[in-house]
Amino acid sequence: MLKTLLKKQIWALLAVFTQGKNGKRRAPLTAIGYAVLLAYGVGAVGFLFWEMSKMLCQPLAEANLAWVYFSVMSLMATAFGVIGSCFMAKSKLYEAKDNDLLLSMPIPAHTILLARMIGLYLFTFMIELLVLAPALVQYYMVAGCQIPSLIGGIVLLFVLPLGSTAICCLVGFLLAVLTARLPYKNFWSVLGFVIFMAVYFTVYSKVNEYLGYILQNGEAVGSAMKTVLYPFSQIGFAIEGNWLSLLISVGIWGGLFAVGYWVISLTYFRVITMKRGERYAKYKQRAEKQSGVVFALFKKEFLRLIKSPMYLINASMGTFFMLILGIMMIVKGDLGGLTPETLTAMIGDEKVMGLLAALAVCFLASSNTIAASSVSLEGENISLVKALPVTEWSILRAKVYLHFAMTVLPALFCGAVVSVLWGLVWWEIVIVFATAVIASLLFASFDLAVNLKFPNLQWTNEVTVIKQSMSVMIAMFGGWGVSLLPLGGYFLFGKYLPAWGYALLCMWLLTATTVGLLFWLNRKGVKIFKALSV
Amino acid sequence: MLKIENLTKQYAEKKAVDGLSLHIKPGELYGFIGHNGAGKTTTLKACCGILGFEEGEIYVDGISVRENPIACKSKIAYIPDNPDLYGFMTGIQYLNFICDIYKIDADTRSARIRKYGDAFELTMALAQPISTYSHGMKQKLAVIAAMAHQPKLMIMDEPFVGLDPKAAHTMKGFMRELCESGGAIFFSTHVLEVAEKLCDKVAIIKGGKLIKAGTMDEVKGDHSLENVFLELV
Repeated sequence: MLKTLLKKQIWALLAVFTQGKNGKRRAPLTAIGYAVLLAYGVGAVGFLFWEMSKMLCQPLAEANLAWVYFSVMSLMATAFGVIGSCFMAKSKLYEAKDNDLLLSMPIPAHTILLARMIGLYLFTFMIELLVLAPALVQYYMVAGCQIPSLIGGIVLLFVLPLGSTAICCLVGFLLAVLTARLPYKNFWSVLGFVIFMAVYFTVYSKVNEYLGYILQNGEAVGSAMKTVLYPFSQIGFAIEGNWLSLLISVGIWGGLFAVGYWVISLTYFRVITMKRGERYAKYKQRAEKQSGVVFALFKKEFLRLIKSPMYLINASMGTFFMLILGIMMIVKGDLGGLTPETLTAMIGDEKVMGLLAALAVCFLASSNTIAASSVSLEGENISLVKALPVTEWSILRAKVYLHFAMTVLPALFCGAVVSVLWGLVWWEIVIVFATAVIASLLFASFDLAVNLKFPNLQWTNEVTVIKQSMSVMIAMFGGWGVSLLPLGGYFLFGKYLPAWGYALLCMWLLTATTVGLLFWLNRKGVKIFKALSV
Repeated sequence: MLKIENLTKQYAEKKAVDGLSLHIKPGELYGFIGHNGAGKTTTLKACCGILGFEEGEIYVDGISVRENPIACKSKIAYIPDNPDLYGFMTGIQYLNFICDIYKIDADTRSARIRKYGDAFELTMALAQPISTYSHGMKQKLAVIAAMAHQPKLMIMDEPFVGLDPKAAHTMKGFMRELCESGGAIFFSTHVLEVAEKLCDKVAIIKGGKLIKAGTMDEVKGDHSLENVFLELV
């Protein structure tokens, strides 16, 4: 039974590669192409952790503290895994559309739970692999690759995500129980996320400081780890080939998963079937108001976004990033130690500040993926909107407008704060503001175009399209690429142009791409949307 | 009001609808019956402009669905077989959304929402999220949304499924009212007794092909509709 449920989950996961529009099968070559694209995205993130591993491994290994290095990296992997999976655990475990169907069959509730926890484990495993794989390779390159160490590394690769999965599931469980009893559950979910992000940013802004501290005080960090973070210290020893530590690590992380499963399974059936609903609101007859067609469609998209904490939190991450970052910059008076002076010293060119500020805003704006799942989220209801007397272009425009509206205001706010803090000159401020507007529109159009190319209307859990879909992945990595390209271009071609000239050239390219994308949406995009059906 | 000429819709190798022609005049309540997979939903969806078709032509009030789908849709209300409406909206938000799309002014919509909401005893629940509605409540809401913009043509797929007897009775009354005011209704059903009592005309489809159509008397003669249907299908 568990095998059957797992098979279903794996099909859903693989559907990203194998299923095309309207549920038809993709050509094998196309599926390979997507897999390559995924590998590229994974490689890009993995590279960041590779650089971090490089920074830590050699000095700590030379100080005979290689185990501290791996403990720190495994702590990082766990944090990364928890951040990556935490916000979908509740939805994945408790809010799947097939709950009623599965519960109506002779399948024990704990089996459904285990299958879903394993599904989440696979996702967490893939996230943690981005940290652990480069960390391990770096370790073996520096400290050598002995058989016990190699076995330890492979075992830990699979064991570590068990603990992160258990933590995520327990958080999901607590959220499910608490929000079932709380009124305004969406509000509390989003508030929790905002607080979490604020804490995350506070910690993240000090990452360099922490890394420096670890390098300078390896011994002290090591002894602190042995007591405060005992399980992570055991992982460090396990990678050095200590069999007992490996056994303890397997016991701790495997045990954590087992305890998590046991705790949740005690109440799983009750919680999953506990539909308390919202406070009953009685409708009082009143004079209704009329609004225009485009605004009505926009409102529909907006309601979909704000009524789903899952969608709001994951797809509007850039909005939250920019608002929290902007406020923190105002409060702290700097951008995590990144001042024009430090950046000039780092890059060796003081004229690049305006461009950097514009690219930072562009990068943050690219973290929003609202439009990248907006078509897929129509799901089996797509005929509702298609039956309305509105053009397909109006429907698509409403999706672009929402993404744009949610991105442009925080982007302008963030741009304004950076401009003031870095003391940018007038033309640089213009570039920053113009980038905020154009990039917001560019990413809105790009994300929608990608979703039209990779729609998925047959999902059982909205997590699949909001967080694990091909369109969201391409939108995210593509956005980062677009944000970083101009910087690379500057180092290659910047010497041939004055800074303002190069910035203008970039603006022109961004605008032309945006216009091109809008034109594509209006022509090809409309045709694709017209042809979509369940 | 609705003219279907030689409609053909193909899914891969299979013809779901094969050369179907029908003509529904203003004031007519037209039933559409057939076994599961006969092509009823495909035909209804094609009439609403939400499903493309390979051959033939469909006209709503003289306008081609293929050439001017928006103009056609503005005259139609479509109620699907599974009224899985937007769960993230409340009932009243959904009704306002539909009224905005069909450009119904504030006063008219308020009056209609009151009239149909009260008739289907759903007014009190309109402030609730649709996700908390039962199947029947969603069905009622879909009907109220359709009636709120007073379509010239109402296309319904299994409209009575999930409705309680009182709501079904109310709906039959409104269906008749719409037809008497010059509108037309084209609906599919498996409840042959309802079709027999309610419809002016009926069409029977089998394997995508129209096998019989006409007034109720022409189709069933002295027999019951059930007997005729079982004999033909």
